[in-house]
Amino acid sequence: MKKTVLGLSIFILLVLCVYPFLELFLKVIYSGPGGTLSFDAFNSVLTSDTILTAVKNTLLVSTAVSLLSCLVGIPLAWLLSRTDFPWNRRFRSWLCLPYAIPPYIGAIAWIFLANPTTGLLNRILGHSFLNVYTFSGLVWIESSFLYTFILLTVHASLERMDSSFEEAARLSGAGPLKIFKDITLPLIRPSILGGGLLVFLATAASFGVPALIGSPARIYLITTQIYTFQKMGSMSGIYRAGALSMLLLFSAAVTLLIQQRILRKSQFQTVSGKSSRPSLIELGKWKTPSVILVCAFLFLVFILPLSGVFISALSKVQGEFSFDNWTFSNFYRVLFETQETGRAFWNSFSLGVIAATLACLLGAFLSYIQVKTKLKGRNLLDLLASLPYSTPGTVVALALILAFSNGFFGVGPSLYNTLGMLALAYIVKYLSFAMKTTADGYRQIDDVLDEASRVSGAGWGRTMLYIWLPLMKAPLVAAWFLIFMPVVSELTMTILLTGPGLETVGTVIFQLQEYADASGGSASVLAILVVMLVVLVNWIVKKSSDGRYGL
Amino acid sequence: MSQVKFEGIKKQYAADVFAVSDFTLTIEDGEFVSFLGPSGCGKTTTLRMIAGLEKNTHGKIYLGDDLVSDPENKFFLPPEKRHVGMVFQSYAVWPHMNVYDNVAYPLKIQKVPKDEIEKRVLEMLKVVELNGLEKRMPNQLSGGQQQRVALARGLVMQPKVLLLDEPLSNLDAKLREKMRTDIRAIQQSLKLTVVYVTHDQIEANTMSDRIVIMKSGKILQVGSPKEIKSNPVNDFVREFIQ
Ligand SMILES: Nc1ncnc2c1ncn2[C@@H]1O[C@H](COP(=O)(O)OP(=O)(O)OP(=O)(O)O)[C@@H](O)[C@H]1O
Ligand SMILES: [Mg+2]
Repeated sequence: MKKTVLGLSIFILLVLCVYPFLELFLKVIYSGPGGTLSFDAFNSVLTSDTILTAVKNTLLVSTAVSLLSCLVGIPLAWLLSRTDFPWNRRFRSWLCLPYAIPPYIGAIAWIFLANPTTGLLNRILGHSFLNVYTFSGLVWIESSFLYTFILLTVHASLERMDSSFEEAARLSGAGPLKIFKDITLPLIRPSILGGGLLVFLATAASFGVPALIGSPARIYLITTQIYTFQKMGSMSGIYRAGALSMLLLFSAAVTLLIQQRILRKSQFQTVSGKSSRPSLIELGKWKTPSVILVCAFLFLVFILPLSGVFISALSKVQGEFSFDNWTFSNFYRVLFETQETGRAFWNSFSLGVIAATLACLLGAFLSYIQVKTKLKGRNLLDLLASLPYSTPGTVVALALILAFSNGFFGVGPSLYNTLGMLALAYIVKYLSFAMKTTADGYRQIDDVLDEASRVSGAGWGRTMLYIWLPLMKAPLVAAWFLIFMPVVSELTMTILLTGPGLETVGTVIFQLQEYADASGGSASVLAILVVMLVVLVNWIVKKSSDGRYGL
Repeated sequence: MSQVKFEGIKKQYAADVFAVSDFTLTIEDGEFVSFLGPSGCGKTTTLRMIAGLEKNTHGKIYLGDDLVSDPENKFFLPPEKRHVGMVFQSYAVWPHMNVYDNVAYPLKIQKVPKDEIEKRVLEMLKVVELNGLEKRMPNQLSGGQQQRVALARGLVMQPKVLLLDEPLSNLDAKLREKMRTDIRAIQQSLKLTVVYVTHDQIEANTMSDRIVIMKSGKILQVGSPKEIKSNPVNDFVREFIQ
């Protein structure tokens, strides 16, 4: 019985998480006339100058973003965990908030602020001072979100680290900077490298910012190039997109492998049994300057762009700054009067609910088997589910198109451009997250409870219902909301999986911004709503789990 | 080497939460003093206040002739300037440096010339019986050997005082016995001032010149092991030292 369940689970995961990629691979390889073996797609991709430039651009941007993120994230993490920086916990959650906001919102904000002709900052400064449509604009916007990866990983590893390593150096006579260089930095190097590679991967896989900022500046990255190919509409376009996405997938896999190797090989044992309370370094006369610096940074990455979006959302006429120009009518128009945006909102909301619910149910079921049974092959579940999670969204979308465009294994209508396809994509993408979160929850529950229930005669199902579900509420709630949140504003996969007539919040914002620069603030209104949703959801998750989940 | 003097030390965490209070004591030059008491009585806190890793909220602390902490007059000498050696319970031997580099680090910070560093490090490694293991990385050492690295690192800069916080609690019984005699022997031969934190009365009895019995952040009794044994001030001390 149990074995059948496991077999079925593995089968489901193979269909959802492996088969699409296989299909992608086979379709691209057998793309010759009549389905014969052909490397034309690969050839045309690998010999095209445009593509090589896109690959080069991707490497450059990703490297620059990783470096900049480290430059900002490491000192911030150190400041917040090792010194007597005031309100450090509050500052930490503010500084980490961009982690949960989709970066294309930043692109919209910075276009509004630093568009070379109409940008707010340029008008205040009097001339075309800033131009967002540049390589540095692209790097800046990506970094202003992705530095949070570094901040989170490095901060976590600093908190885990036994503080007596640093105290021993202090007593040896070393000052704070020397200690940081000689002791702290070498000890956290693995997590810096790990976090840096994650940022690299996230940049290479990102779509929104490169499309909104890069493309107008004629800086094409791999993801935007895949998008262009796919939107050509022809089969050869799809194959080329497929070939290129295999390239992206391959690089992502290599990056992840390197990251795992680094984490496994060079991890020092820096965690001691006894938790120590660290002696904080007193900033002294550096306190005020560092607070000012951090506040200025927060202003630059968060408050300034957000106010930009806010002003734009509240302006009757874009680009005018008088009191009688302020209005809430944009909100009303977007939500209730414009069909497209209203529909987009409704679609995204219901997709969020459906995908989060199904992913959580399936995830909770699968991770139960993985954590609480001793069946052989149970660890395969985690491995299979994590495949789409660590694959760039663009590649996942393309694989799903090729696998399920002709219905579900030839049964039923085409799934392309349907809500069903979107729900499927979100579930496939976030299943691994649901599994990991619920697995952590299961691990904290003692087996004894389970056994006690069974001894008293309750079956497997009733044990699950009466013992596990109540105890699993916190991780389940967290997983649900943490899937719901990104799904509502998802863009990377959605833009490839949908066409005209099926809008979501992400695609509508994208199209409003891309095709109509003077959109009357509609994109900004939606962006504000997304940010508000993120803040609200984060608050709910944090409160409902007593700070265990959320930022 | 020099004496350590506490004058009315208190460590306050909240309105009426005192980790240590009314702590007055002079530890003489070359003396081996143990802080003994149940868990949570403030031993570690007091030790860390000597090092400057924790700030006392009231009272004065002297190291030798120098005032190092006087919160009433807003004076505080940071740990990196105090010149004390410390051996942590977790050893805190830096895992990315080999034995030699670990022990040499305090001297490098003081910009001691290279050949003198080498001389002093090798000498110190001989004292703690680690000669020949200079190139080993910490993960190739046993717990007891890491302990000795930590000891050598604490001693190499010839500190004013050596602080040890339950250094033997992670070792097995046999090794603990050997380390007890070894630490005491090193202290005697180098004429070190040592403050030793423990909750094990055998350790305190066999190693110390004087024992400070603490409870709830206060000193109950100070005296040589013999004095305390023959003349405990109250039942708590008698029970604890028996
Ligand atoms: N940040 C803090 N806030 C409030 N009380 C604290 C704080 N840090 C320590 N304490 C309290 O100070 C007291 C002394 O702690 P200390 O670590 O010095 O005890 P100890 O004698 O070393 O105990 P052990 O033998 O367990 O190591 C404890 O009661 C502890 O709860
Ligand atoms: Mg202690």
